Amino acid sequence: MKVLVDPSATRVARARPPVRAFLGFALLAVAALLLQRASGGLLAPSEVELHYLGAAPGEGLPRAALWEELHAGAFLHGFVLFMLGALLPLCRLRPAARSALFPASVVAALADLAAPFLVVGFGGGGALRVATTVLVGVVLPATIVTVFATLGPGAAATEERADG
Amino acid sequence: MGEPGLPAAQRAPALVFAGFLLLMAASGAVLFVEKVGLGAAQVREFYLGSPARFTSPRSLVGLLEIAVPHLVAIPLVLFAVIHVVAAAGRLGPRLLGWLAGASFAVALAGVAAGFGVRYLAPGLAWGKVVAFLGFEVVLVAWAVLLAAVAWPAPGAASTRGRGGAQPGDQASRALDPPFGIDQQRLGSGGGGEPEALRAALDHHRLG
Repeated sequence: MKVLVDPSATRVARARPPVRAFLGFALLAVAALLLQRASGGLLAPSEVELHYLGAAPGEGLPRAALWEELHAGAFLHGFVLFMLGALLPLCRLRPAARSALFPASVVAALADLAAPFLVVGFGGGGALRVATTVLVGVVLPATIVTVFATLGPGAAATEERADG
Repeated sequence: MGEPGLPAAQRAPALVFAGFLLLMAASGAVLFVEKVGLGAAQVREFYLGSPARFTSPRSLVGLLEIAVPHLVAIPLVLFAVIHVVAAAGRLGPRLLGWLAGASFAVALAGVAAGFGVRYLAPGLAWGKVVAFLGFEVVLVAWAVLLAAVAWPAPGAASTRGRGGAQPGDQASRALDPPFGIDQQRLGSGGGGEPEALRAALDHHRLG
């Protein structure tokens, strides 16, 4: 944690292996989430609507289940986003890329957390949930892979060699 | 080390994390009210079952299904938020230690109280309610503290604008994102050099 508030080159280099292991697990978690949704048929709007609204009025997912999804998602997304956001400043990235990746990841996560409530609230719109799943499935892995690849002084050393 | 607070680059992630802490607290509160209820009688009924409502007592497996993820998630969240607030240096070590201890104790009491109501004494239902409300306060308090240490200090920008930056002030803590890396490129790559260079820059008000 010290490396996040006082990122000397030595600390960043020392922190890189465990951070990369963490990022590997985060990537696996996103992959598992996508697989879970795909295997549940939640990549098709009609299946999403069936899952949340049920086949007939009153057969939909209980309200508590929606909140459980939000509760677990707030922890998972919150923790991973916090780590990614804290690590991005330690990466060799253009400021524009750095300032785009984190907000994009936050927006994708919030949209994905809100989507089930919107589907239930509107009584339809399963495509919205599919869209947020795709958004999370693209933006989060992109941020994780970027941090993995560009974190720390190793990237700087490579750049130095390239600069000559 | 300079004036307390987080480096500029770490403020946005900390603020976002504070927001997600509030989301966790809010969704947890809704879930507790929806599934259990906010009175001792409802808590007793939830754990011990109710013949009138045809509900059976909670099984050990059912209790563990709730307890296990919380025993992982709660300490992890508290560990992260307490570390960041501690690193910002705005709270004294005694106060920080007391708050951290109280937070973990309330969290543990909340998880344990469910088992207590089910297997020890139904009277512990009040303990469960108090521990739950206490943990909600803890989560919100840490979210507020995190947001407070992440929020830019008032006047930091205007002071910098007047050219009045002081050694180690908020402006000098606003680390340029790849700070350590660029420092390494300036030096010959020795492990201690970046910090020595930074201290020198601070000393000459150049940081």
